[in-house]
Amino acid sequence: MIYLELFLSFLLIGFTSFGGMSMVPLINDQMLSHGWMTSAEVADIVAIAEMTPGPLGINCATFAGARTAGFLGAIVASFGVLVPTLTVGMLAAMFLKKFKESRVMGNALYGIRPVCIGMILAVMVQQSMTNYAGALFGFLSWPALVIGLVSLLVLIRFKWGVPQTILLAAALGLLLCGLDAGAALPT
Amino acid sequence: MKKQNLRRALSIFLTFLKFGCFTFGGGWNIVAQIQKEYVEKKKWITDEELLDFTSVGRSVPGIMVGNASVLFGYQAAGFHGALAALLGIVIPPVLIMLGVVFIYDLVRDNLYVARAMVGVRAAVVPIIFSAMMKLFKSGIKDLFCGLIAVGAFCLCVFVKMSNVLVVLLGALAGLVWQEVRARRDLS
Repeated sequence: MIYLELFLSFLLIGFTSFGGMSMVPLINDQMLSHGWMTSAEVADIVAIAEMTPGPLGINCATFAGARTAGFLGAIVASFGVLVPTLTVGMLAAMFLKKFKESRVMGNALYGIRPVCIGMILAVMVQQSMTNYAGALFGFLSWPALVIGLVSLLVLIRFKWGVPQTILLAAALGLLLCGLDAGAALPT
Repeated sequence: MKKQNLRRALSIFLTFLKFGCFTFGGGWNIVAQIQKEYVEKKKWITDEELLDFTSVGRSVPGIMVGNASVLFGYQAAGFHGALAALLGIVIPPVLIMLGVVFIYDLVRDNLYVARAMVGVRAAVVPIIFSAMMKLFKSGIKDLFCGLIAVGAFCLCVFVKMSNVLVVLLGALAGLVWQEVRARRDLS
């Protein structure tokens, strides 16, 4: 049953992620392994989630749930990703003082944070293989490569915000892919 | 007391609905709005309490913004307040994303949209990279953390291990290593 699968999948994502970008590898992994989305669609979710208000996790869950199983899918996936907040988060709120003094969570996070970085690197490798795929040297897309480098430059060197960077990348995509008819392949 | 909590919960719900509509770009934005509204204006909580909510919210699994909202809501108006804050922050992004999915499915096969999306997808890896740079400092504290990050990367890319498992292994490694270190320091 798709709803139960979606719920459990986002429940797992929720319990093993600790906010923001660290969710992307987990979502990528679950979506691809269930065959619910292609790698390009995961990239689209990340970009769209960055352009719309609200936490990344909720945006991704709604998008993935709705695309896989419609309105109810969106509700079920969002609820799944919120279960840790409703259980562990609520307990932390009730016993805030005890929670603050506990060493266990801090020790676990000492190991989890570097894991998130390793996973994010892995998802970058995997995403690169789809997002920069094209005909150059038989496997690269020159417009995508140019846009990738420009985005990196404006983000790191000129400290642009993410929404502005995405808008620039979209404009460059229109321009450069217009020059190269084969660049915008259907996904 | 009970009645006052319910009235507060309703006002929290409405205020968080507003936060939920206008918060772009992750958790810190929402924390800043809570600070303005509830520390400076209404004086329901102090700056120190808010700092606790964000740091505990980050160390609990799930969506950081959701966790911080629950912690704040509980402190301000008990259980009802926690639910009110969470629902308020979650409903707007879910509704907005449902609209986005509808439009996405309509336009994604349009030639110009496809070209723009090539650009947007090319920007996703740089965006993830720049987010990772920010995590790097707090995540990689010593050599052991570096080894965990490399290990996690290898497990994801070469072994294709499920990301959920990789996170659990990381938590275990953190707990064991910190315990070993604490014992070594004692003896």
